[in-house]
Amino acid sequence: MSSLDPRVNRLDFKKLADGNTHTNSHLITWEVFHQEKRGKQVVHVGIVHASTPEMALILAKEQYARRGKTTNLWVAKTSDVYTFNTEDEDIFETTPEKTFRDPAFYKVRDRIEKFQNKNKVAL
Amino acid sequence: MKNEAIKDLLFKMADDALIIGHRNSEWTGIGPMLEEDLAFSSMAQDKIGHAQALYNILHDTFGEADANTLAFKREEKNFKCCQFVEQPIGEYDFSIVRQFLFDHAELIRYDMLSQSSFLQLAQLAKKVKGEIKYHVMHADTFVKQLGKGTEESKARMQSSLNYTWHFALGIFEKSELENDLIFENIFDGEEELKNRWLEKVTSIIEASGLKVPATDESKIVYGGRKGFHSEYLKPLLDEMCEVVRSDEVTAEW
Amino acid sequence: MYGSTNLSEEDAKRMNTTVEDSDKLEAFESRIARGEKIEPSDWMPVEYRKQLIRMIEQHAHSEIVGALPEGTWITRAPNFRRKLALIAKVQDEIGHGQLLYSAAETLGKTREEMMNDLLSGKSKYSNVFNYPANTWADIAVIGFLVDGAAIVNQTINSKGSYGPYCRALERICYEESFHLKQGHDNVVYLATGTKHQRAILQDAINRWYRPLLHFFGPPDKMSAHSEKLMKWKVKLASNDDMRNQFLDMYVPKIWELDIAFPDPNLKKNSDGIWEFSDPDWDEFKRVINGGGPCNAERIAVRKFAEEAGRWVRQALMNPSEKYQIPLA
Repeated sequence: MSSLDPRVNRLDFKKLADGNTHTNSHLITWEVFHQEKRGKQVVHVGIVHASTPEMALILAKEQYARRGKTTNLWVAKTSDVYTFNTEDEDIFETTPEKTFRDPAFYKVRDRIEKFQNKNKVAL
Repeated sequence: MKNEAIKDLLFKMADDALIIGHRNSEWTGIGPMLEEDLAFSSMAQDKIGHAQALYNILHDTFGEADANTLAFKREEKNFKCCQFVEQPIGEYDFSIVRQFLFDHAELIRYDMLSQSSFLQLAQLAKKVKGEIKYHVMHADTFVKQLGKGTEESKARMQSSLNYTWHFALGIFEKSELENDLIFENIFDGEEELKNRWLEKVTSIIEASGLKVPATDESKIVYGGRKGFHSEYLKPLLDEMCEVVRSDEVTAEW
Repeated sequence: MYGSTNLSEEDAKRMNTTVEDSDKLEAFESRIARGEKIEPSDWMPVEYRKQLIRMIEQHAHSEIVGALPEGTWITRAPNFRRKLALIAKVQDEIGHGQLLYSAAETLGKTREEMMNDLLSGKSKYSNVFNYPANTWADIAVIGFLVDGAAIVNQTINSKGSYGPYCRALERICYEESFHLKQGHDNVVYLATGTKHQRAILQDAINRWYRPLLHFFGPPDKMSAHSEKLMKWKVKLASNDDMRNQFLDMYVPKIWELDIAFPDPNLKKNSDGIWEFSDPDWDEFKRVINGGGPCNAERIAVRKFAEEAGRWVRQALMNPSEKYQIPLA
């Protein structure tokens, strides 16, 4: 094969193996978490294929931290990360309604003004 | 004399970085797995960046031509790289072993230079410290895992180590001007560097279940530092400069 | 209640079910209609999963095969700036492939299975990468116009319904904007440069014009519509719409450099629709079916990379670790 790419012309195609495709020889996956700056949350950004935590970190660095700022990366085996079942998403359903947990729920300005007007409180 | 010695040091470091970066960039897009393709490519970019920074010092401090001219318009015989970096990328075991042996020398060299009395180089050394540390981490991780992997990977790694060993020792070819550098506290010299390197790579090779090849002084591949190169450098430069040479000298790309 | 999300068994069951549960289908469709995303562990119609895998996989293949035409000039870039930019750009294509294969993996097909299907010809990649990069100017044109076309497509797809694919595309679009900028920069240097530089640029534009028109696929009147895929937000815009958007954005940027497209009929109508000569859709079909100038080389090189790298991957493997579908 003669290629326009000099690199390709240097590849030794004769040395190739059987040409068969293989299955089940792929590496496990690691979930990658990225922290942009000190003090910021560590955020899930994707996965890498690797065999050991050291290798996963080394490889994650250039896929998930080759641009912009990074303070640290974390990796965890996919099989070590636990989640709820999707069917159970309803356990979170009414949470947004529980406004008594939110600061915005507590609005007293109207009441104060009403009180002031009624009682002619001088400021 | 002192300036000539510094220039000699800068040229050999820059040329090493340019040529190994260029070689390693040949893997971009055809690496052994996608993640490693990315990592190896980044390191090639880093090396080319180091070369550019070193040529910039030559230009700014010593009035040499600009970085692009030094890299793309210089004759082969004026290159000072060691023959190790000129060798084709071969198979992955060769490239990863070359990276391992070369980058350990780089890490120690830049560490020594971070104390240099030549400030431009000391500053650069501090700046690129983290990059080279990563290159070494990467190489060590691969050497350890491939050295302890399958029968095939062990055999490949050992055979590449044996093949590259005397090339790698050629990194430390001494310059006649080196004593000036040592005297002026600019750089502690290749001998010191080689000894520290030998100690470091020996421990990692052994921890990886591989054997340190025996050194035969007569087989060490010298010459590059004095402009005597392997058969591979000329074609590499011709290829690298093909576009530049295809048009008028003043063309801007 | 707690469980690690090993989907494999569940997935296999789902894949084999052809009759969809109507309640689940309705919930799924109304979720998409509300503009919510579908996540990997959600119930999804078999056909949705199948089409997404096909699409994301093709996209991933296009990235890693797309690295090859540009890689043609990686050792010959003419100065530090271009050399670093080109290596970084080709690297990004591989990175995009990695992100997209990962997104497809969440749907239950392993990277290795996808790679095997690429090499056997069972799954396709974008036609545009079966053309050669003859000169340095091709790198400029690919960087500017092929990436420009890809951004049009990817920006639209990033509004789709499948969470992992959208997340991958958002990052990809960000990186593509670097590609576009450096591609434009390269085009401008050539166009404003020497006679030789202008000539190789014009030649490259002439050769890439048709493949670029082909990029978005056959005209709407020739291609099969799928209401379902539109409803499921797998496909979001018609081929003609995307092509028109591309021409609208990029033709003027070439014309302003006094570089021509090799088509006397290329013009914008008063209604904003671009007209062009028939770009030979038979050629498009020929190339898709393996008859392009570089199909054989592209697959041979990918095969080389897979096989030459196999000993590395095998040496890294820990046989006691069982692969599990990634989470997101």
